[in-house]
Amino acid sequence: MESVLSIKNLTKTYGRVQAVKNLSLDIHKGQVFGLLGPNGSGKTTTLGMILDVINKTSGNYEWFGKSNSTDVRKKIGAILETPIFYPYLTAAKNLEIVAKIKEVPVVNIDKVLTKVGLIERKNDKFRTYSLGMKQRLSIASALLCDPEVMILDEPTNGLDPQGIAEIRDLIINIAREGKTIILASHLLDEVQKVCTHFAVLQRGTLIHNGSVEDVSKGEEIVDVNADVELEDVLKSFEGTKKMRFENNRWEVSLNEGHNSQTLNKYLFEKNITANYLLPKKKSLERQFLEILEEANS
Amino acid sequence: MMLRLLKIDLLKLVNYKTFWVMSGLYALLILSIPTSVMEFLKWLNAKGAEMFGGDIDLMKIPVLYFPDIWHNITYVFIFLKIFLAILIIITVSNEFSYKTIRQNVIDGLSRFDFIKSKLLMILVLCLGSTMLVFLTGLFTGLVYTPDVSIADMFSGIQFLFAYFLDIFAYSIFAFLLTVLIKRSGLTIALLVLSMPIEYTITANLPESLSSIIQYFPLHAINNLIEVPFPKYAFMEIQDTVSMTFVGVVVVYIALFIYAIYAKLQRSDI
Repeated sequence: MESVLSIKNLTKTYGRVQAVKNLSLDIHKGQVFGLLGPNGSGKTTTLGMILDVINKTSGNYEWFGKSNSTDVRKKIGAILETPIFYPYLTAAKNLEIVAKIKEVPVVNIDKVLTKVGLIERKNDKFRTYSLGMKQRLSIASALLCDPEVMILDEPTNGLDPQGIAEIRDLIINIAREGKTIILASHLLDEVQKVCTHFAVLQRGTLIHNGSVEDVSKGEEIVDVNADVELEDVLKSFEGTKKMRFENNRWEVSLNEGHNSQTLNKYLFEKNITANYLLPKKKSLERQFLEILEEANS
Repeated sequence: MMLRLLKIDLLKLVNYKTFWVMSGLYALLILSIPTSVMEFLKWLNAKGAEMFGGDIDLMKIPVLYFPDIWHNITYVFIFLKIFLAILIIITVSNEFSYKTIRQNVIDGLSRFDFIKSKLLMILVLCLGSTMLVFLTGLFTGLVYTPDVSIADMFSGIQFLFAYFLDIFAYSIFAFLLTVLIKRSGLTIALLVLSMPIEYTITANLPESLSSIIQYFPLHAINNLIEVPFPKYAFMEIQDTVSMTFVGVVVVYIALFIYAIYAKLQRSDI
């Protein structure tokens, strides 16, 4: 697979604090890569280094197999932390500056503003924008050069549920176009919904790196309920690994080799018909907490 | 390439109200000073006539005549460079407080590109100021000089070049202070204080070092255009711009730019 970003032993120290320790990571074309970690785990510092605004202490990184240069960055659409624009300029003027820096035609401006739904406000000053509009404008700005890679740092920070949903749809749509996306976030639900791969940082150290699909592999969890009392029946099922009663139904973690089908069959043999049977993917949130727990122990 | 960098910076400026207010005020002061000087001389003459019975006609002093005018007005207009410097401090410190310098670099400008775009903007502003001073001098001279000869008209024109070098060096000094301090208020305060600070330092130098005082940065810049007025009291003063100080100031400009480069290259933005 074509390598987009390759990081090797990247380190950043601030005095005695190591913000990023020996980070190595590869990101390939077409991936939607989630960079996870609690606040202060080094996500933004890492992104700052690969975008050349934070000087690295040691280590290396390559974009598209080349070392960083302005030409490489012109093909990357990136936002770090909060949306940054000239508050006294209109959205259109702000994007004109970005277009000039990236050396792309200004005709793209209307196109990207339409895409994020800001075309009607294009001649309003940036400082009059709501937080959600600012976030959307920064996504428009990142899209301006029709980028090969997009880097989004907490793109839904501070948004209301509707705004979060809008941004998420936008990201999914962009990912469908085959663009590589690097998404830093501490919202696991968000990452699970849009990402194909993810890495977990903790106190500057990489503690996990894998695909989101793998999270749901392994043990299966099934929510089940019936009109009769199930506790004893489920307990005697050989496939039951763990079970707990929650939200008026049983949540059963199954042993390997078992799934919702074998459970259903078992219940049927016991002359019980389930009125509720839902196989669940293991959530990233649970996986994430397990990873952190493992790393700490 | 250079043109693209200049365009980027101009885009940031043309819709910035503070820029127009400051540069408008600056231009207005340049345009209005010669007229007010003449009015002041007229007033002084009238007062003098009352007090001394009109022995001296101040209007006969060729302050605004060719070729004296170039030395005189450039010397006076130099004091207005503080406006230019404040304008530069505000626009550059904005880039730090809005963090737009960071986004500029993320978007694909190198740190050196950023410096170049600001230097080009400063160059354009200084050329504009010099042009305005040239036109003001030309018209004022044409109006007040009794009999104009082409040779006289441009014979003191080298002071205009010294004027340009002076404000350019001072503006880049302001740029350097902003890159070091980043906050506009503090930078302006330090810029205003830098002259007294340098003069305090030089005043306390041991006697043996007194010969180098003139080469201190702000001294050297100030020495480009000396006070012209004592000549009307029959004292001898410069009639040409000293090439030594031109050279010294050019070296300072290069040092300031290098310091800006070194500072920005080293720091996280």
